[in-house]
Amino acid sequence: MFKVVLIMLQKFATHVSSFKFNYLLALIPLMGYCQTEKQNSKYLKSVGDIAFDSLMDRRDFFLCNEKDIMQYHNNSRGLEYRGEKLAIIESFEKKYVPIPDSSQNGLIRVRFVVNCKGQTDRFRIIAMDEDYQTKKFDERITQQILDICKSLDGWLPKKKEDKEFDYYQYLIFKIQSGQITEILP
Amino acid sequence: MKWIIFIFFLPICVAGQPNCNVFLYNKDTAQYNACKSVESVPYYQYTRNYQEKFDKALEICPYFAFAYSAKSTAYLKSGDFLTWKYLIDKAVQFDSIYLDYRAWCRYQFFRDYKGAIADIELLERRKKTKEIGYSAGGEYHLLVAKAMCYSALNQKNKAIEILEDLFSDSTYQAGLFDYYQLAVSYFQIKDYDKAWKYCLEQSKVNNLAENKYYMARISKIKGNTQEYLSLKEESILLYKKEKYMFDPYTEHFNKVYLDTIEKL
Repeated sequence: MFKVVLIMLQKFATHVSSFKFNYLLALIPLMGYCQTEKQNSKYLKSVGDIAFDSLMDRRDFFLCNEKDIMQYHNNSRGLEYRGEKLAIIESFEKKYVPIPDSSQNGLIRVRFVVNCKGQTDRFRIIAMDEDYQTKKFDERITQQILDICKSLDGWLPKKKEDKEFDYYQYLIFKIQSGQITEILP
Repeated sequence: MKWIIFIFFLPICVAGQPNCNVFLYNKDTAQYNACKSVESVPYYQYTRNYQEKFDKALEICPYFAFAYSAKSTAYLKSGDFLTWKYLIDKAVQFDSIYLDYRAWCRYQFFRDYKGAIADIELLERRKKTKEIGYSAGGEYHLLVAKAMCYSALNQKNKAIEILEDLFSDSTYQAGLFDYYQLAVSYFQIKDYDKAWKYCLEQSKVNNLAENKYYMARISKIKGNTQEYLSLKEESILLYKKEKYMFDPYTEHFNKVYLDTIEKL
């Protein structure tokens, strides 16, 4: 890559003075520095970005614009699901089998991508106890929640200026003694 | 309707950047310099550039609370309760002015009723007045938020007591959903006359599909069939005109869905 850039610059140099060419050459290390700086940043391009992971994600999951996955609130229409959030609540009421256990309290967030066709993938989970500390819930709870999330097929493609876009959506499950008591947002 | 509400409250939502000169006046140069460095940040709050810009402000002044608050917003909106709480706690630690914001967000985004009540009651103790602030979007007085939290914890009478006390203050101007929240609490303890009264009050302030739905329920319970059907129809009509409780991030407390209204 570096060689290609150098050859291009040399060709370009035939059209510019030697002073300008040297100036451009001097910029190359700076360009590299800028790139390294971004790579070394502790932040992703956007907060909460979910990169493709071949161990977890579907290879055939299609995105309209991989480089610009937006947020569910970016079109100011909130959560958009066929039958509204009530349909999601009813899915969980039907499918989730509570695991009665007084130690299973807190929040579980499942975040994922809804593509421009309304399909979903790249599911990721975080969880906390009632004091906002990381918590590992009973696997039977998290796995059920994840599976039911994956089965939800009513996500509506979101539009902004008449153009459909891919977006990040999340669902938070409030768990009390192994029961789902609320679903957010 | 949704847009009207959204645009109406926009100035409150975006107000947050402190006046840097206050720090200078207090001879706090470090905080003044940090504040000036983020006076106009041209990046979206989710972006790396935005986060890094505020990190730099914190390098200038590690106790610049606004930077922690600003950084926390994207985590809040993406549902990352772990990172959000760490950052907003830092903001509150360095400046208690962020306590009202933390209280509201605990309720709105994470339905942390007990946590929100604790923050709001702390505010009340500190301020010793009812003027403790509003929700981030300005729709709810924080005492209404406290009442909603108690209602969610199934302490309906406590919720009613807080709201009645607040509304009895002649200087208090009712918010867009205040009377509705009180009406629903009365409905839940089966005081249908009081519920009806506050539904009527709500209609005057902001006629909502949800409000008409509860009026339809009361009419149905009382056996007023014609009135029930008419109110149900009105509720559905309002819903289809998007005159319902809406927030672009989360759902309102006691929101009612179209399917629920149709099945009444």
